[in-house]
Formats: sequence, structure tokens, C-alpha cells
Amino acid sequence: MIHALRAGAYGVPFLPVAGMWGSDLVAQRPEFYSVMKSPFDGTEVVCVKALAPDYAIIHVQEADIYGNCRILGPSYQDLLLARAAKKVIITTERIVGTYRMEEEPKLTAIPHFLVEAVVDLPGGAKPGICYPEYLTVDWADHKAYQKAVKAGEVSLFADKMLEGRL
Amino acid sequence: MGYGKPEMMAAAIIREIKAGDVVFHGLASSTIMVAMKAAKALGIEYTYVTLSDGVDHDWKRPPYVASTLTENTYTGSVATFGLDEIFDLFASGKGDIAFLSCLQMDKEGRIAMSYLGGDYDHPKLRGPGGAGSATLTPITPRTTIWKPQHDKKTFVEHVDFATTMPALDKEFTLITPLCIFRKPIGEKYLKLDCIFPYTTIEEVKENTGWAIDETEVPVMDAPTEAELAALKQVDPNNILAFEFK
Repeated sequence: MIHALRAGAYGVPFLPVAGMWGSDLVAQRPEFYSVMKSPFDGTEVVCVKALAPDYAIIHVQEADIYGNCRILGPSYQDLLLARAAKKVIITTERIVGTYRMEEEPKLTAIPHFLVEAVVDLPGGAKPGICYPEYLTVDWADHKAYQKAVKAGEVSLFADKMLEGRL
Repeated sequence: MGYGKPEMMAAAIIREIKAGDVVFHGLASSTIMVAMKAAKALGIEYTYVTLSDGVDHDWKRPPYVASTLTENTYTGSVATFGLDEIFDLFASGKGDIAFLSCLQMDKEGRIAMSYLGGDYDHPKLRGPGGAGSATLTPITPRTTIWKPQHDKKTFVEHVDFATTMPALDKEFTLITPLCIFRKPIGEKYLKLDCIFPYTTIEEVKENTGWAIDETEVPVMDAPTEAELAALKQVDPNNILAFEFK
């Protein structure tokens, strides 16, 4: 998946990946995996097809109104997602002044020109974790979410959550 | 100090880690997390990388939940190193051990991680995917699978859909609550390597779905007082017990 997103971000149709040998996944998903020979020395490699999501929705700790984002905890594959997706929607714990980015440009993980929209959404990663804002999963709300998914009532769950009625 | 299967398995895991190793574990790996923290407490100088982005987090802070994707494996890190970078690290030959698990395994070390029962599109049980282990297993010098259950449902004669399998030129190890199996470099099948003090080869055979040819194997030493003390030190909330319930 990471290599597929990389191919999307690099603007190439596929990328060779390390490993994958012996996996039945390769034959199971021919629309995603293919085995090729290196044009340089004939080594066989598994390739994955590029993935460029229409949208990436990414929650960050700080963003300015232009979409410059600071990820203050683990960034996982968010930077890659932001570069592979056609459009990026940011939700943020808080909106900060652009001076924060000017002070430490290296901490801007996603620059504004990749971002379509910024949503001011404190607590937006709940019931999950957003280090260092909130550190533990809210299991009661998480179970309520699972229940809502099974019952097909996710939008009702979202309404309740946004209104603080969970 | 007494010990049970969790402590024995944790000690066996600790003993796999050598000074200088770069060691990775995947998601939902509480047994490994506790053992790796204890290895730090015992002074084994190795590098701990995981999906939380953290590198050598502060192992002195005890875990409070069994999840291995919390701030507990991040706070106090000396660097951040993402999963994408970890894959690259192992792909370029700079990683040593990947601790991974399985839904099922057979004697060739073929691992079911994608699904069990039915077929790929209509499984009885959908697994966590496992393309990560499909990438890592064939390229990691010492892939080490741990499984807190040892029974014939888990260790089967033949895995129908193998998410991944070991490479011929790599070491591959399976640690269970009863014993350790190893596939030496250049060989195709797992061999019973040793058993734990509280079991017998007969019990291992009765609970393994493939034929075990070995008739005599060493008994691994019980956890030492130092290992048990280290486990207690890093895990006062007994997260180690979680996967054995």
C-alpha cells in the first residue's frame, strides 16, 4: 500500500517493491500486483499499481487558514497520503497563525498548496488518539461507533458525537 | 519467583534479541512489546522501531493498555521513523528482527494472515491483511513469529491461502507457549528446536497439525530471576497476560 501511494505521489504507473515472494496475494490480485524483470539485470521483482486517492482526510494538531499543517505527534503515512491524493481535506485541533510556520518551517509537514480545505475540528480524531492532545482511545465511544457501523447508523452517530450527546 | 506460559514466552522472545539488533514489531503485539521493554531493562543495547513512529521510546514508562499504537511506544523517543521508512530499512538489509504473528501456519512457515475459511472475497474470518508481513518476511534476516496459542487449529498441515512465507536464504523462527520451531538457512521446513520446561515433545506433537520428526530436543532454561524482575519492572499492570486470557 505504501509503495502504491508512493507511485501515486511520484506520478508513475507502478513501482517495484521488496519482498512479497511466496505470497498468494500476488496471484489473487492481478489488478494490483504484477511480477516483472528488471531491465538492468533481469532480477524478478513484484510491482504494485499506483494509487492516487481522490481525497485524503487528515487530522492534524495545528493548521493555519491557508492549509499549512504541523503534525506534532507521530505522522504515520500522512505526508505520503497528502502527496498521493488528488485533493486533501485537513481537520485540525486548532487554527494557528502563519507565524508559527515561519518560525519553524521544517515542522510544516503538509504545505498549503497541497490542501483543498481546512476544518477547525477540536477532538476530531476521537474516539481515537491524537498525540499529545489526547492519549488514550475512548473505548465506550469506540464501541458505540462499532455498533453504529453494524447498524448502518454512522451519520446518526456522527451527529450525536458532534453535539456532545454520546 | 514463579512463572507461567506468558513469562516463559517473554523470556524466549528476550533471548532472541542481541546487542546491536534493529528490531521491529507490528500492530497489536502486546506480548512482544512487554518482552522488548524488558530486554531494554536487562541492558541489551538494541534499537526498537515500531508503527508508532517512535525510535527507542522511554521503556521505563509502563504500558497501561494492550494496544501497541499508543503514546506509550512513542513518548521519550530519540527520533521518529515511520513505517514507510521501516520497510525501506529492512528492504535495504539494515533491519535484523521483525516480530510478526499469524492466524495459521504450516510446516513450511506459510502464514495465513489475510483470511480463514471460505474464499478471499467471502471469508469466514477476515484477517488484518498482512501485506506488511508479506513484504517483510521474505527479506528480514530473522523473521520471528510469536503466537500465544498452540493448537491444531493454528498450526495446520497445509495453509490454504498463504499471505507470506519464509525465504530459503533467511532464518525463520516460531515461538509458541510450548516451544520454539526454527527453519535454518537453506532449509524448507520448520524443525522443533527446543521445548519449554513444563511440557513434553508428546504434548507439542498432540497440539501441532504437522508431523514432528524430532525425537529429542533440548529443554529451554526457565526464565531467570533477572528476566522475571525485568518483566515485572516494565509491566506493573501485567499487560503481558492480555494475549493469554
